[in-house]
Amino acid sequence: MSSTLSSPTDQDTLLQAAIDRSLRYPVMFFLTSGAAWLAVALCLGVIASAKVHNPEFLGNWACLTYGRVYPAHINALVYGWGMQAAFAVILWLMARHSGRQCPDAVMILTAGHVWNLGVALGFAGILSGNGTGMPWMEFPPYVWPVLLGSYCVIVMGSFNQFRVHPQGRVAIPQWYIFAAMLWFPWIYTTSNLLLHCLPGHPVMAAGINAWYKSALVFLFFTPVGLGAAYDLAGQVTGRPVSGDALVKLGFWSLAVIAPWAGMQKLAGAPVPYFLPYVGAAAAALLFIPICAAVLNMVRMMRPWRETLVANPTLQFITAGIASLMVIAVTSVVLYLPESTLPLTQFSLSGYGFDILALYGFFSLVMFGATYLIVPRVAGRAWISNKLVKVHFLFSVYGMITICWAALIGGFQQGMGQENWKLPWIGVVSVTNPYAVTITFAWCLMLFSNVFFFLHLILMWRLPARPGARHALGEPAPAMPGHTAEDIY
Amino acid sequence: MSLRTFILGLSASFGVAWLAIIVIPFFMMRNLAPITLSPSKDGSAGVFFPKRTGRIADGASVYAANGCYLCHSQVIRPTYAGHDLYRPDWGGLKDDAERGDTRRETNAYDFGGESFAQLGVMRIGPDLSNLGRRVDALHAAGKDPAAWLYAHLFNPRDNPQLWQSTCPPHRFLFDRREIKGRPFDGALKVDAGANHEWVPKADAKALVSYLLSLKKDHKPPAALDFSPPKPKDTD
Repeated sequence: MSSTLSSPTDQDTLLQAAIDRSLRYPVMFFLTSGAAWLAVALCLGVIASAKVHNPEFLGNWACLTYGRVYPAHINALVYGWGMQAAFAVILWLMARHSGRQCPDAVMILTAGHVWNLGVALGFAGILSGNGTGMPWMEFPPYVWPVLLGSYCVIVMGSFNQFRVHPQGRVAIPQWYIFAAMLWFPWIYTTSNLLLHCLPGHPVMAAGINAWYKSALVFLFFTPVGLGAAYDLAGQVTGRPVSGDALVKLGFWSLAVIAPWAGMQKLAGAPVPYFLPYVGAAAAALLFIPICAAVLNMVRMMRPWRETLVANPTLQFITAGIASLMVIAVTSVVLYLPESTLPLTQFSLSGYGFDILALYGFFSLVMFGATYLIVPRVAGRAWISNKLVKVHFLFSVYGMITICWAALIGGFQQGMGQENWKLPWIGVVSVTNPYAVTITFAWCLMLFSNVFFFLHLILMWRLPARPGARHALGEPAPAMPGHTAEDIY
Repeated sequence: MSLRTFILGLSASFGVAWLAIIVIPFFMMRNLAPITLSPSKDGSAGVFFPKRTGRIADGASVYAANGCYLCHSQVIRPTYAGHDLYRPDWGGLKDDAERGDTRRETNAYDFGGESFAQLGVMRIGPDLSNLGRRVDALHAAGKDPAAWLYAHLFNPRDNPQLWQSTCPPHRFLFDRREIKGRPFDGALKVDAGANHEWVPKADAKALVSYLLSLKKDHKPPAALDFSPPKPKDTD
């Protein structure tokens, strides 16, 4: 720490340490099991992608047919890794901001195990041929109440922490996290009830499913990612984000615009005409909240270019924010009705967009969070800086390759699809080279994430080393004139 | 801003969209009114009720569980949203022996018997809205359409015309069993080894029955016929 700083009071330090300690088991449990699911998801991603260009690969196994491996891959990525990483960040962030210890670690851990059991059941259900065939909701119908119940138990404590928070001191990251916590059960219950319990029109069911996918990305993963990014960047740089007009615009425009997006996927399908158009308009308008958030982040981090080079958390967050900017641009470009939408509606571009949001933005920010949180809750520094670097480089280059291949390949594929004079098999061969590229990139990401998982396991299992906190994850020196108390 | 205002704000911003694009359209489409045919325009009276035959619900669940929707769509978009109608065998048949050009866009009554319309994620394979029609009239003209589909599911690349297909083989939908007595009539015509044969399992039968039911080119009632004038320049 810089000598120009006045240190935080001992009491504060003790309180933070106590909060970190109280969160050790829940946070490490969610991150480690999430990382294990991530490795599984990437493994299946490699297999699924290889099957696109080599259909006979593992062709004799029913459970490894493309139509089961691909949904298993996406669902493991979303519910196994994404949601659990989000839980870890939600618990840690809400506890720290409210200045209270983890309410009931045993209950959260139990619910966490139930969540994992639910995901495992659903995963096995998909592979054994009991998937529902609804994108991102392929888990058999008996799984969703299990997941919803355990979700409520896991976040209940954090919800209460926000409620009892002193007035006037709500930090910006908490807005995002709290909104995500509130919206997720709403989205999840609505979609599952309407699709599994109330028989409706089959095409509207497909519409609700398309909305669910978009809402999960923009009303859960995006706010959690943004909340975490704001908070971590604030901690590392020692300058918390201030609640000025741009931040408010970013937050409230996301809340107002994002719930309308999603149904652009149904352009041309027999649903009320306004639904796909509203969806496409909302998707394009998402440029506003995302741009506002990105501008804020850039404003926050610009004075810290030197720190950025050395601090893995900032590196991951910067890469995540860069992906977010790409998402903003692509959401304008991909979904223009009667122009680009026919090209991307049924092409690889949609997959590229999903991976960009799930991995490029959300996961990279979660990795950044992991590199800051784990040393604090585990009480020891990361074992190997090299592994962290490898993780960063392979993740970023792998993700860039996948998104580039899927987005660009998707456009080419879409143009082939629209050219009705081209025999269909010609369209398929356009896609092949891009599919090969994507397989290669998934291999890179799998490689890096297996080590990420092992690294996490070692951090958890090796004995804690008190006094080792001044390592990789420790805040960089704050700017002169700002004290550490300013952070909260 | 108090906590209450904050939660109200979050609920209102989300709730308005939730009502407008999810809840209200869901309940309105749930009770989609049947279309009464107009004798002057449709040539008959009564209610429009497109019939489908086959094991629709069973087959649709096999279709869903094995991820066919990941590579195949089931929607023919109107011309403003895509060029699907111009393909000669997607929206119907360009030259049907009896009915001429039967191509048309998908309508809301085309998914009878299914609980979820498999509109599709990607189009790595062709659209299947009229697969049943296509197999009947083109792929297996004059032959058994079910046998063509069984062979296709077993290994799409066995067909010399489809040697470049990237459709995965679905051999797990078939049983390899020993021939006892007379060989089974419905056995696949592929080499199963000495004294053995490949026969479709229950799932394969349901799936093929469902796929053959995909014939969404019957003439829609005048009230639903939005088709643009048929393009002259198609091949």
